[in-house]
Amino acid sequence: MGRVVGIDLGTTFSLIAYLDAQTGSPKCIPGPYGSTLCPSVVSVDPDGKVVVGEPARAKLLTQPERTIYSVKRLMGRGVADVQDELKIFPFRIDPGSDNVIRVRLGDKSFTAPEISAYILRELKSWAEAYFKEPVDRAVITVPAYFNDAQRQATKDAGRLAGLEVLRLVNEPTAAALAYGLHKQKRGHVAVYDFGGGTFDISLLKLISTNEGDIYQVLATNGDTHLGGDDIDNALLDLARGEIRENFGVEFDHRGEAIQTLRKSLIRAKHELSSAEKTIVQYPLESKGMYIREITRAEFDELIRPIIARTMAPVKMALADAKLAPKEMDEVVLVGGSTRIPLVRKTVGDYFQRAPHCELDPDEVVALGAAVQADILETGVKTMLLLDVTPLSLGIETMGGVIAKIIPRNSTIPASAQELFTTGVENQTAIDVHVLQGERELAKDCRSLARFQLKTPPGPAGLARIEVKFLIDANGILQVAARDLRTSEQHTVEVQPSYGLSDTEIERMLEESIEYAEQDFAERQVIEARTEAETILAATDKALADPRSHEVSAAERKAIADSEAQLRAALAGSDYKLMRTRIDEINSATAHLAEVLMNGALQTAFEGKNLDDV
Amino acid sequence: MSVQRSQDAQAEGIPVTSCWNCRAAVTGAHFCAACGKVQPLPAGASYFAFFGLPQKLTIEPASLEGQFHMLSWKLHPDNFVRASEFERNLSLERSSQLNDAYRTLREPIARVEYLLEHLGVRKEGTTKQQAPPELLEEVFELNESLDELREARAAGGDVAALQGRLEAAQQNFQEDLEDVDAELATLGREWDAAVDFGGEEAKKTALLARMNEVLNRRAYIRNLVAGVQKELGS
Repeated sequence: MGRVVGIDLGTTFSLIAYLDAQTGSPKCIPGPYGSTLCPSVVSVDPDGKVVVGEPARAKLLTQPERTIYSVKRLMGRGVADVQDELKIFPFRIDPGSDNVIRVRLGDKSFTAPEISAYILRELKSWAEAYFKEPVDRAVITVPAYFNDAQRQATKDAGRLAGLEVLRLVNEPTAAALAYGLHKQKRGHVAVYDFGGGTFDISLLKLISTNEGDIYQVLATNGDTHLGGDDIDNALLDLARGEIRENFGVEFDHRGEAIQTLRKSLIRAKHELSSAEKTIVQYPLESKGMYIREITRAEFDELIRPIIARTMAPVKMALADAKLAPKEMDEVVLVGGSTRIPLVRKTVGDYFQRAPHCELDPDEVVALGAAVQADILETGVKTMLLLDVTPLSLGIETMGGVIAKIIPRNSTIPASAQELFTTGVENQTAIDVHVLQGERELAKDCRSLARFQLKTPPGPAGLARIEVKFLIDANGILQVAARDLRTSEQHTVEVQPSYGLSDTEIERMLEESIEYAEQDFAERQVIEARTEAETILAATDKALADPRSHEVSAAERKAIADSEAQLRAALAGSDYKLMRTRIDEINSATAHLAEVLMNGALQTAFEGKNLDDV
Repeated sequence: MSVQRSQDAQAEGIPVTSCWNCRAAVTGAHFCAACGKVQPLPAGASYFAFFGLPQKLTIEPASLEGQFHMLSWKLHPDNFVRASEFERNLSLERSSQLNDAYRTLREPIARVEYLLEHLGVRKEGTTKQQAPPELLEEVFELNESLDELREARAAGGDVAALQGRLEAAQQNFQEDLEDVDAELATLGREWDAAVDFGGEEAKKTALLARMNEVLNRRAYIRNLVAGVQKELGS
């Protein structure tokens, strides 16, 4: 078994973290570019090679038609759900992919879980390079307000990336956990999580028990389509309008030019978090240069309506938890968008207290996920998260009206039993339609699944089938049915309304596992080679040192032999053999290294015994 | 607590079964006393029995919450990630029952509704739609005011006065609701006393029927208030 990690699969950036056994603290793992942030961008080169992260972000400018960002917005959604997004985001959707969106990247198309799986696989490779061993299990975070289909899509992405998903944890809850460890606080905590594409508010109660700390979520609310992306788009609208008016230049919203403009506007946004004003410059070739100063005040006015949209969910969560804003003991800010001064001020004013932002708002969710992953993995429970389902679960009844069976903000796992019977004589099937949402009518709620309960023909009302609806600890629905007359378990074939079927997952999985193994092996070879070359260089240098003659000729020959063996292994591509040879050369040179080290130390600590040092 | 639970389990007629793992006798407890393995839920056991409580309507919120946290710590699926699929399912069953039970019992009204449903006095989710006789006059007046308000809105007439009348009516019903809740609390205490001192079955049955009537009245008034609020808000 390999290592276990926590992953924050974000709209703009994704991160991977682990619990350091030595320090007992969670840590984010940096990638090859030194940063712990992996841009959630995927690009497919013309030769079919998939590029993820920083290099993919660069390709937004060079091959935008082969590159996708903010794919999280498409997770678990149908084409009808994302019409608004399509006007703003440069997604190229395959026609006819109504309930499982397929995005075109060059000449191939991909589902959102497949694209997310590429991001997960990239992060997994970061961790594998870091640990030098495989990583196969993870806790992945999701926005608290994600519905069943969005959660299922995230779990599917994990499976496709070759990860066993131990648990989906809500992002604000993970953040609260990281903060709790940090601060050892008790009482009511509000977590305001404003990320790249999603907004969540979670209200928690932190309880100390004799056995450990319990983080109980009292209420959660949010908007899975509200984030820093919207701020970028507001800036983009402003700039596009002005460029159209003053220069007569119109942008194709899927072209390269707009990505360059977007990039400079995002930079301006970041600068305005600390500076009072900034200047955007954008060359329009022969038409001249768009130069625009943006002040903090103007920026605040532009984004005020977006920030205001976060407050309605905050109020609803407080009402559900039966708490007043001033009853919150702590307010925690999470997500990159909470760096914006207006966000901090708005939240601080509302709760009448200074919000916490000591931990890096980008890293805090992944850190919390790593802690939860370690608990699930080791079974050493130091704390317990009790989360809730964000949306009410209901079934459709007569006239398209919803009967709520599990109310929103119920602690999960949660369940409800319903008894179904036939309405007319000789009816052989009962249709069940499961939905999620707060509205009264089925047409206004989110369809989760449909299934049929089969029953032998008979008089109306004779059949008695009990269906158990259960929302598990991941917030995902499970359905089981039992025939009360025969006490037999009834098989239910649930057809998800959105998302991938099991067969589709299996097929994708077969393909991806092959790739994953190949990727891992390739990376291992590269790393073993790099390490071997370092060791060979050091060994050559040691043998050239005049003091090396303090070890016997036989020993020096053995070292030279093991060098030759390692060089031979490097000619091949078996990383395990390379590792064995590296170990051999390490033990062959141990004595020599000691001799050289002692010589060096003797020079440094004249007259001291080595043991005293 | 385990002693108390077994008494309550007996009171509810929960049969003695044997542990799926070590065959020791278990009576509805969460875990086998002998081997510590999580046990399946006994058929028909109530939410009260789950918490080791008698079927009474007075519950101390802080102690219920404490029990909830203690049981969550033990039963949550986090503890069973590496257990067999069978045990994982048992944990899922028990922990979802725990959450369902706590959600229901912590709310006084939901608690009464649940007791009546569990004892077969009340059907789940049913509320009588006809107005209770003692409210007929008020309901009639209210509906008239609502109609007038809608007409006045359509015709652009004087809405303010009608709104004032409706707000007053709403206030009245709100007070009725408080009376109803007080009545329910009194009946609850009588029920608890009957349970404690082994009251006659006939008396208990009468109390249950009375509570059911009060619940129906409560649901009816709540619907009225919600209707008025919706109309005033629109």
